[in-house]
Amino acid sequence: MRGQSRLIGRRLAQIIPVIVLATFVVFGLLHLVPGDIAFTLAGENATDARIAQIRESYGLDRPFLVQYASWLWNALHFDLSRSYLSNEPVLNQILHRFPTTLLIVCGALSISLTIGIPLGILAATKPESRLDAAVTSLASLGVAVPNFWLAMLLVATFALSLNWFPATGAVAFAKDPAKSILHAALPALALAAGGVAEVARQLRSGLIEILSSQYVRTLHAKGLSPAAILWKHGLKNVSVNLLTVIGLLVNRLLGATVVVEAVFAIPGMGSLIVHAAINKDFPVVQGVVLAMVVVVICMNLLIDILYTILDPRVALK
Amino acid sequence: MIRSVARWAWRNPPAGASLIFLLALFTLALLAPVVAPYAPTTQNVNNALAEPSWQHLLGTDDLGRDVLSRLIHGAPATLYASFLAVSVACLLGIPVGLLAGFLGGWVDDGISRVIDTLMSFPGIVLAIGVTGALGIGLTNSMLAVGIVFSPQLARLVRAQTLVVKQELYVDAARCFGASLGRIIIRHITPNAIQPVIVQITLLLAVALLAEASLSFLGLGVQPPQPSWGAMLARAYNYMEIAPEQMYSPGIAILLTALSFNTLGEALRVALDPTRKRR
Amino acid sequence: MIRLNGLDRRDFLALLGATTAASGSAYAQAAPKRGGILRVSAPANPSSLDPATGGSGSDHVFLYTMFDTLVAFDYETLRPMPGLAESWSYPAPTTLVLNIRPGVLFHDGTPCDAAAVKFNLDRNRKGERSNIKGDLVTVADVTVTGPNQVTIRLTEPDTAMPLILSDRAGMMCSPKAVEERGKDHDRNPVGAGPWKFVSWANAEKVVTTRHEKYWRPDRPYLDGVELAVITEVQTGLRSVVAGQNDFAYQLLPSQKPVIDRAKGLVAVTGPTLYCVQMFFNCAIAPVNDVRVRQAMNFAIDRDEFNKATMNGLSEPAVVTMPSAHWAHDPIMAKYYPYDPDKARKLLAEAGYKDGLDVQAIGFSDQRWQQRQEVIIEQYRKVGIRIRFTNGTVAETSASFNTERKVPVFLSAWTGRPDPTSTYQLMFGEGAYYNAARVAATPEIGPALQATRAVEDTESRRKAFAKLQRLVTENALLIPLVFQFELDAHSQKVKGFKPNLLGKPKFENVWLEG
Repeated sequence: MRGQSRLIGRRLAQIIPVIVLATFVVFGLLHLVPGDIAFTLAGENATDARIAQIRESYGLDRPFLVQYASWLWNALHFDLSRSYLSNEPVLNQILHRFPTTLLIVCGALSISLTIGIPLGILAATKPESRLDAAVTSLASLGVAVPNFWLAMLLVATFALSLNWFPATGAVAFAKDPAKSILHAALPALALAAGGVAEVARQLRSGLIEILSSQYVRTLHAKGLSPAAILWKHGLKNVSVNLLTVIGLLVNRLLGATVVVEAVFAIPGMGSLIVHAAINKDFPVVQGVVLAMVVVVICMNLLIDILYTILDPRVALK
Repeated sequence: MIRSVARWAWRNPPAGASLIFLLALFTLALLAPVVAPYAPTTQNVNNALAEPSWQHLLGTDDLGRDVLSRLIHGAPATLYASFLAVSVACLLGIPVGLLAGFLGGWVDDGISRVIDTLMSFPGIVLAIGVTGALGIGLTNSMLAVGIVFSPQLARLVRAQTLVVKQELYVDAARCFGASLGRIIIRHITPNAIQPVIVQITLLLAVALLAEASLSFLGLGVQPPQPSWGAMLARAYNYMEIAPEQMYSPGIAILLTALSFNTLGEALRVALDPTRKRR
Repeated sequence: MIRLNGLDRRDFLALLGATTAASGSAYAQAAPKRGGILRVSAPANPSSLDPATGGSGSDHVFLYTMFDTLVAFDYETLRPMPGLAESWSYPAPTTLVLNIRPGVLFHDGTPCDAAAVKFNLDRNRKGERSNIKGDLVTVADVTVTGPNQVTIRLTEPDTAMPLILSDRAGMMCSPKAVEERGKDHDRNPVGAGPWKFVSWANAEKVVTTRHEKYWRPDRPYLDGVELAVITEVQTGLRSVVAGQNDFAYQLLPSQKPVIDRAKGLVAVTGPTLYCVQMFFNCAIAPVNDVRVRQAMNFAIDRDEFNKATMNGLSEPAVVTMPSAHWAHDPIMAKYYPYDPDKARKLLAEAGYKDGLDVQAIGFSDQRWQQRQEVIIEQYRKVGIRIRFTNGTVAETSASFNTERKVPVFLSAWTGRPDPTSTYQLMFGEGAYYNAARVAATPEIGPALQATRAVEDTESRRKAFAKLQRLVTENALLIPLVFQFELDAHSQKVKGFKPNLLGKPKFENVWLEG
């Protein structure tokens, strides 16, 4: 346990520099090119004087580092400032939209696991069989398919032709859980293709390695049933691999939902950042990046803790 | 060389098929103006959204342009995009990884921290942000994708360098007073390169998908240049009337990404030193 | 053969050919019913919900729900009608007297009287954050001449003023709310319209609810209007097909067959002032040469453009007003037929024998890219190599209208209630949409003034014909098509009628069942 708390402490100490670095990189990239949101805010009929005035009132005329420092200072006080475009607190926007995106990502993750794990086990128990070949090719397809294309195919089939699912939008989970899940189903399914493939693939290769090891062969010789070996020794050992895959998946899913959200016109984090980045609404972009980094870091932390539970040696390291 | 590749491909049908597919694609891309039955921009609004026929093997699009010709002419842009992104990733990632791995110490610590950070947030989100800053367009968006991918390569190269650095011949070279640059170029690079080649092949597939995504969001290719991602974006607008518009560009993307992946995986096996020894 | 719910491609194409002009929504004879909430899919997030500070032509549909205008307009002809002002008159050419309807209350309970009207008009023409000062430049001062009467003194005769007061400038906000809330009034507005503001989740949804003390006792029928922002119109229509929303507006012509095929959906079409067009910055080479501008007009095949990008459902445009409008000029409308030879000849005369390279900017979404592709191809045939650089609406408008470094801008004009504003804003000296800032010929100024100096429609029509001749002969613009409005709603939506502005109003709408 001491190992774990030390690990958590170390991780937490890392969070701040990572966040600073991440937001600084994004801030810097957005400032690479001249041009800012003043034009957008000024709207039609804007005079140069009005634009200059807007620039001043939003502090856009200050040096880049000063702007960043002031943003960071506020962020450290849990104030993500307000969107230039809507004047709405960024934190509100994120709290409002993140659940929608998280629901889709979690949905995609659970689909990946519920389909990917059995497929991986099946393939591993009969390596080089026809079933294994089928799973392997399915996995290759899953990795290579563009998920927004899959999303389009799903919309065309299940929403527009068959009318089984809504074609667009989202409903807050708190408001109506059933409807909310119905809305998230197709996007999650479209996102899950890569996840299923990745999980099945990793599980298969990990299991095959373990099942062909000397140690397992000894267990066989001892007369343990194959099922018992698989459950007790195979899966337990392979769960560490699985955790790593989950960590990577969450990161990738968060990214991929951006495009899939566009296909379904879902008001989530994806549409938020696309809109904000194109219009140079810096506080919103920063806020979204921050939120995603925090989620990824927390996920990694959780996984690290699980590692130590599964394999106490890790914590001592 | 060619013969051994051919033999390897023959014994490894999926990899062979992928190789053939990609070679064919490159040839098509190079010879696009000669091979394509029509110019990709020739419009015929009286024959819009036509279904496949002998005149138009894959039908026509919303402006009556030949879909097959647009697919063929879209290949160069698509391949260019993938290779541009991966080249940028290599140019940024490999030197940084080599430096980090070879120099070690605080340089390594610093670089590794930056790499971890960049990898801790979703790549495509970052790419969108960068494209927003650089301005919309194929080259800009692919520069962004390249920048986003570079940490992956840097991390891999760093790890490889750490391994190779410990090898005897590097120590020997150092003892003989070889310069840092020479050691990196003559000894470390060639020995660390194999997994990098594999990774590059796999990255090509990821870059292809990223290009399609960004073009789909309208941040990539601009008209009238065709690209597969942009064709899909257009098809999205006609999903109710002509759903078949989204089949061919999607399948083209899928097959190409699949080929890069299959090839990458096969290379991984073929180049894996532990396998050879077995 | 691919079949889509019983409709195959040949049916679809036949249907396209057969569908033409206006088909109003089927009117039920049943009496209007009170109650229910109309759920609308709106294609753009409002720039602001304060009529004075907003800047986007797509805001109006939101604003109309919460704000009543001093002057209303007739849906079909855009002639002025009584609104919050019961009546008005011009006792002298430079004096406009408005008689304000007594007893009108804002949503916060304060009265919308003459003092409030003066407050609003002064704020609109002088307020620091007002975006519509340009609309009221001819106003010299506003005085309260009775509890329910204001007198507007004009710097010059301006008969366009009543219709200008049917736009943003005539939308009345509660003075109390404006003063108390300051900048926050943008996002939390108080008007005197049929519904009052409830909430605005940015880029997501605007919710309004019935104004219990609305001045028209029988209106509104609806308990509330909820406008969901769905920027992809395809997706917007899908939301209506799937029953998540009741109404979607400003749809694309290519969506007509989808509406017709969907069960329980009604398509509404009608002409609008919305014009897809290319703006020139006449101060920049090569389009500072009138021959180049004329060539670029002759080289456009507007029928093909209409067919390719609008499924043939719009009206090819050569002049600034559509044929349904009272100020339309039928003679100038024939000035630029498709004539590639003439275009080539003009280009050669201008010194571009071997072709011409033109830089243009536009918008990056698929709809606009499709239009660009058609233009690129048509121009290629006469040797004009046009290249588009794309960006967001804000970026591109700023680079064309504010920085003024690009010769051509493919964009659209959403229309103004009074034609004088349209011509003034696009061709007047120093006008925002006139990127050259100077009038193309000195005759423009007087011709513009002439359209405001007379009051009766026939004389104004003649004045506009003169102005249009200057615009057309000097090729100050490339109008392409007037977009037809296309709205879709479920069958339970009754009483909806489109208007020539193409910006739906829901005041007469009720829900059945």
